[in-house]
Amino acid sequence: MIIIKSEDEIEKMREAGRITALILQEVARMVKPGVPTSRLNEYAERRTRELGAIPAFKNYPHPSGLIRYPASICVSINEEVVHGIPSRNKVIREGDLVSLDFGVIKDGYYGDSALTVGVEPLDDRRRELLNVTKEALYRGIEAAKPGARLSDISNAVQTYVESHGFGIVRDFTGHGIGSSLHEEPQIPNFGPKGRGPVLRERMTFAIEPMVAMGDWRVMVKSDGWTAVTVDGLPSAHFEHTIVVREGEAEILTKVE
Amino acid sequence: MGRSDDFIQLKGTITEALPNATFRVKLETGHLILAHVSGRMRKNFIRLLPGDKVLVEISKYDPKKGRIIYRFSR
Repeated sequence: MIIIKSEDEIEKMREAGRITALILQEVARMVKPGVPTSRLNEYAERRTRELGAIPAFKNYPHPSGLIRYPASICVSINEEVVHGIPSRNKVIREGDLVSLDFGVIKDGYYGDSALTVGVEPLDDRRRELLNVTKEALYRGIEAAKPGARLSDISNAVQTYVESHGFGIVRDFTGHGIGSSLHEEPQIPNFGPKGRGPVLRERMTFAIEPMVAMGDWRVMVKSDGWTAVTVDGLPSAHFEHTIVVREGEAEILTKVE
Repeated sequence: MGRSDDFIQLKGTITEALPNATFRVKLETGHLILAHVSGRMRKNFIRLLPGDKVLVEISKYDPKKGRIIYRFSR
């Protein structure tokens, strides 16, 4: 069942989204050659507490139930697609594609957003990968209209990404979001149009295309979290939390 | 798909030797699991005793069982 939110709930998600976007923007500005990814995590965690919120990813349980996600932000560099764990030993270098995925809880409601920063000097293909992934997210958001079907979002993303010769990662999906980080439905980034539930106003989704420069196949490393492309080629990831609205969806994780 | 896909590796300590090259291992996370010895360790006659620190590979689909793939030096 997809939960339709009240305007009160959406207001809370707007605040969570605002904090998420603000911190994500600040962390993105820290992405420079020579910076260890652990520093991004320390900053994000401190800022979250300062703004009276709770990091949404920290201690998120692994499907096995044995371990929990150890950090507040996911930092995934190049062939790492998502869920990269920040580390003192992982240092950002020139030419890297650094994906940052971050979320907070404020007043019991979640915000979730991601972006990829290219560290200059970037080659053309990597720059194109960034632009295409970002545009794919906006194509997905555009397809999220009342009356449309869920898979219209999936199809919009896939069609755009594949028309540029990139691979759309299938192992991870967008998701409903609200008073939990992951709610129904799952939102795949691939598939035919016109399938799945009909979208209604005030549904809230996190749409997040993950795009690989080469093959879309990924595997999860033995740390249980980090997903990497099987062919080792770089990937990018953009995500927003949105509310379905008549006309155009409202993006909750946008900075003013 | 890569070999390591769907497996997570965790450190633990052997608490009990059971029949059939099976051991009870206490993971760093505090969980107790049953673990078999990997074929490569058996082939190379790596002996395991209670108290040994080991690396265990665990499927996320059956987190109660694992394979011991490495014994850290004593």
